[in-house]
Amino acid sequence: MAIINLKSIYSVAKKEFMDNLRNKWIIAMMIIFLLLTILASYLAGGQAGGEDAFGGMEDTVVSLLSISTLLIPIIAIMLGYSTISGEAENGSLSIVLTYPVKRIEVLIGKLFGLGSVLIFSIVVGFGAGGLIIAATVGASEGLAYLSFIALTIMLGFMYLSLSICISSFCKKRVTSIAGGIVLFFWAMIYGMIIFGILLASGVSFEQFLTPGFAYPDWLFASVFFSPGDTYQMAVMQAFDVSQAFGFTMEIPEYMSLGLLVFAQFIWLTIPLILAYRFFKRRDI
Amino acid sequence: MVDKTIMCPNCKNNLTIQGQPGEKIYITCPKCDTKGKFTFPGKTSYETTDDSYALKIEGLTKTFNGFKAVDNISFSVKKGEIFGFLGPNGAGKTTTIKSILGLLHVDSGNIKINGYDIKKNEIEAKRSIGFLPERVAFYDNLTPIQTLNFFCELQGADKSIIRGLLNDVGLSDALDRKVGGFSKGMLQLLGIAQTMIGKTPVYILDEPMGGLDPRWVKVVRDRIINLNEQGATIMFSSHILSEVQTLCDKVVIINKGKIIAKDTVENLNKHLKIRPRLEITIPGLNGKIPEIIKKIDGIESIDIKNDVLFITCDSVARINIISEIKDKGFEVKDIKTIEPSLEEAFMKLIFKDDEVK
Repeated sequence: MAIINLKSIYSVAKKEFMDNLRNKWIIAMMIIFLLLTILASYLAGGQAGGEDAFGGMEDTVVSLLSISTLLIPIIAIMLGYSTISGEAENGSLSIVLTYPVKRIEVLIGKLFGLGSVLIFSIVVGFGAGGLIIAATVGASEGLAYLSFIALTIMLGFMYLSLSICISSFCKKRVTSIAGGIVLFFWAMIYGMIIFGILLASGVSFEQFLTPGFAYPDWLFASVFFSPGDTYQMAVMQAFDVSQAFGFTMEIPEYMSLGLLVFAQFIWLTIPLILAYRFFKRRDI
Repeated sequence: MVDKTIMCPNCKNNLTIQGQPGEKIYITCPKCDTKGKFTFPGKTSYETTDDSYALKIEGLTKTFNGFKAVDNISFSVKKGEIFGFLGPNGAGKTTTIKSILGLLHVDSGNIKINGYDIKKNEIEAKRSIGFLPERVAFYDNLTPIQTLNFFCELQGADKSIIRGLLNDVGLSDALDRKVGGFSKGMLQLLGIAQTMIGKTPVYILDEPMGGLDPRWVKVVRDRIINLNEQGATIMFSSHILSEVQTLCDKVVIINKGKIIAKDTVENLNKHLKIRPRLEITIPGLNGKIPEIIKKIDGIESIDIKNDVLFITCDSVARINIISEIKDKGFEVKDIKTIEPSLEEAFMKLIFKDDEVK
């Protein structure tokens, strides 16, 4: 009985993709994302192309990074937060689940369908940015840029998986909205908590700002507890960036790209497994 | 041959039909063209093999946070039956239906749809049903065609029938509109079209006439009859009792999560001793009940409004009343027999049930 029907998964995914790609809020977010990436690529990349003093690709990526870190989680959360709670509440899920499909197929279909919307917006946004960079700086770092896109897709899927998890746990749409907001602000709250711990551990604010200050190892390790942070760290690793937002970092040896991606897979799978458990036991 | 007078639920027209005891006939009202179904009382054989049941529910209990919404319910629906599931709001109708479909996790109970256990044979059981929920919702940004395409894919059904189905429920003008802009009635009609894509042997409809105007109520009734004529089993819940009365072979009435009656419409009336009501129009009565009628045995109640007498009585009294009136030379303008409505049976049962508690 453990056989999964791929056709059903595909049908659910297709339905989710078609429905969400025409959602005006999602379209609005995608347009904002596209405009910002074009602008950032033009300003950072374009100027870099004009003046050799700038790093070109690296700087462009750093500015794109701040856009994607903010907008991709928003889009992912908007796609996922009510996909189960909202559909259970309005009744559409009760129709779907009386068709010959299993709940696991619906869940996986949703992940792929909503994920396709994310991939679509990332590829369009960063694709446009990439074209501008290629036109001004050249396409020499094309491969690194592709891995940047791949890591951004991974970021989106982590947040998607977390928001689907929230959606299958929350009984009502309203509570899952609250869950989505908490999830979105987690990266910020978490950063503040870590910073607070750092200050409490005896490091002064001046020390923190002093160039060349060696951050304690646990500070780097704390990155693993925030999906957004693993993304930023992974992108910086991929581009060998050690200087960003005015900070220079001595990144510890163990913080390899491979380990970060592994952590991201855990961020992706654990919430999904939990989502399935909640969904399976849920009364629709 | 048995004669029977029934009332059209749509235009309230009385019509007389003939049939053998136990016979099931489909009727079309000559006045308003509404379709209906009637099973003559009498011998109906009920085989008890599992195969003859479209739905079999045994000992179903479902609690929500300690509250027993459905308490140890058992019933079965034979293949080819139209089955009415009645109860006041909050009685547990929707909970029962959702439990049957495996949408709710039940505390206990065995449920078989078309012979398949909903837990052990989930996919096969679900493949045999078309379901209309109480609150119908689809996907805001898809058109009706895209919506039905999706369900056809899930069911593995033929997509070529989609346009025809949408046409049948009157949505052919809205084919390219987004479902998000549909009215409640249009959603309900799309929901009904959705149940029919699989040509399944069993249909479970939760309040199928809810939110529809009379014209579409008729369409839905006709579809139900149509499906039944083709051999499908239909279970539908309702609190619109006249709908149930002329459509269903059998009814189950639930109240506060428990079954309070389970019978054919006919037997239910008998069991509750709700008798047909006699309406006799005699010009010149002017609100006075003739003394001779009052003396007749077996009359339960007499009422008068202007020239019309309303009498509830048993069948012997009925004959006596009619002959007495004729003997005493009253000029009878009209005699009508009004069949007991399920509504009366229903209210009587619920009140009785509430009193006991």
